[in-house]
Amino acid sequence: MTLPAFEYREPETLEEAIELLREGGDEARVIGGGTALVVMLRARLVRPRLLVGLGGISGLGDIQVDGPLDGPVDGGLRIGALATHREIERSREVRRVAPLLGEACGRVGSPTIRNMGTLGGNLAYGEAASDPAPALLALDARVTVSGPAGERTVPLAGFFHDFYETALGPAEILTAVHVPSSPAPARSTFVKYTCLSEEERAVVSVAAVVLPGPDGTWTEARIGLGGVAPTPIRARGAEAVLGGGRPTDGRLREAAAAAAADVDPLDDRQGSAEYRRAMTEVWVRRALETLRDG
Amino acid sequence: MPGTRLSVWVNERLHVAEVPAHWTLLQLLTDALDLAGTKDGCGQGVCGACTVLVDGQTVRACLFLAVRARDRRVTTVEGLRTDGALHRLQQAFIDAGAVQCGFCTPGMLLAASALLAETPRPTEDDVREALVGNLCRCTGYARIVRAVLAATRLPGDTVA
Repeated sequence: MTLPAFEYREPETLEEAIELLREGGDEARVIGGGTALVVMLRARLVRPRLLVGLGGISGLGDIQVDGPLDGPVDGGLRIGALATHREIERSREVRRVAPLLGEACGRVGSPTIRNMGTLGGNLAYGEAASDPAPALLALDARVTVSGPAGERTVPLAGFFHDFYETALGPAEILTAVHVPSSPAPARSTFVKYTCLSEEERAVVSVAAVVLPGPDGTWTEARIGLGGVAPTPIRARGAEAVLGGGRPTDGRLREAAAAAAADVDPLDDRQGSAEYRRAMTEVWVRRALETLRDG
Repeated sequence: MPGTRLSVWVNERLHVAEVPAHWTLLQLLTDALDLAGTKDGCGQGVCGACTVLVDGQTVRACLFLAVRARDRRVTTVEGLRTDGALHRLQQAFIDAGAVQCGFCTPGMLLAASALLAETPRPTEDDVREALVGNLCRCTGYARIVRAVLAATRLPGDTVA
């Protein structure tokens, strides 16, 4: 089936793009890789008059490390919104500073979808079962948003508001993602559980970062979850159980149970709410055991 | 329908076409350029039947706006032949019996060719990973995977 007619513009500056969106109002949409928007267009779920492509704006797909390549990483990573999942998965900079994000991007859809889909588009779409979002939540990432009133920075933990709703206001564009570097001893892991095939959306995905202390305790733990609430979430209850304690079997089980209480899953064809809650407990426990036992 | 005039390289030939903004690359290829090899399957980026290469990378032609192909190099299944000879992947698919109804075959061939361009000697896992987004309802995949691996074998390799 063909797409409904629309106008397409590809401005060369961010200011121009914002102006086009401001003029277009509700009838204008940003398009990144198109993997989400084109499907919605074909299903007539959205009927924009104007699509604003960002591909003409230079530098919007860059992946940069703050600090020398072989030295300490001071400011972490800055990833332009148009960087594709594939580019992030394969980036040496990402592998060095935030391997967790590379792992998560490597689990998005199929290789072809990863060639097309962009990180900015993934986050701006507000998909509950996003793969990169839980990783970025566990990494304490922030996003830069540009709009008619200028630029602002939003912690990702405050970016997702509700089912497909984000902090993006009218004519605002998500332009970059910032990932702070983790202290050297930090360990991380990403698991995505799908019950149909590899490229499906997650029943649950778990991204976890822990900071082991010298005395065998975990001084800090951060856990992001995808697919188990109206938005990607932090499992704050589970984090509170883990922080400062020794990762004993009992504590990991307690944390996994707390994660299952943190979630607010929906029923869909990937699984019932009850199933997703049960799988959250299983996969959080396994992720934490991997971080403890290697 | 008013459109944008754009030039695009398809299978090493430069085409100039008047393209409406809402056309997908799949429409441009099949409707305007009469290249029927690329298949329109699910229209949602799930089945992989419309897989083509843009600047050497696989994309879903059903999700890719045609205007974004401006000045880029597109490869379809029609472009795999060189000098009238089948691509070694095409020959390997025939030899292995990897084609039944044939609907998924163009997408499979392009996804496999992108893999071989990056990884000339892939493992079976590499092949399965590269083809994860290409659905086949006939073959059960075993012969397709075997065909891709056979295409990478050099003379003198022991046949597993």
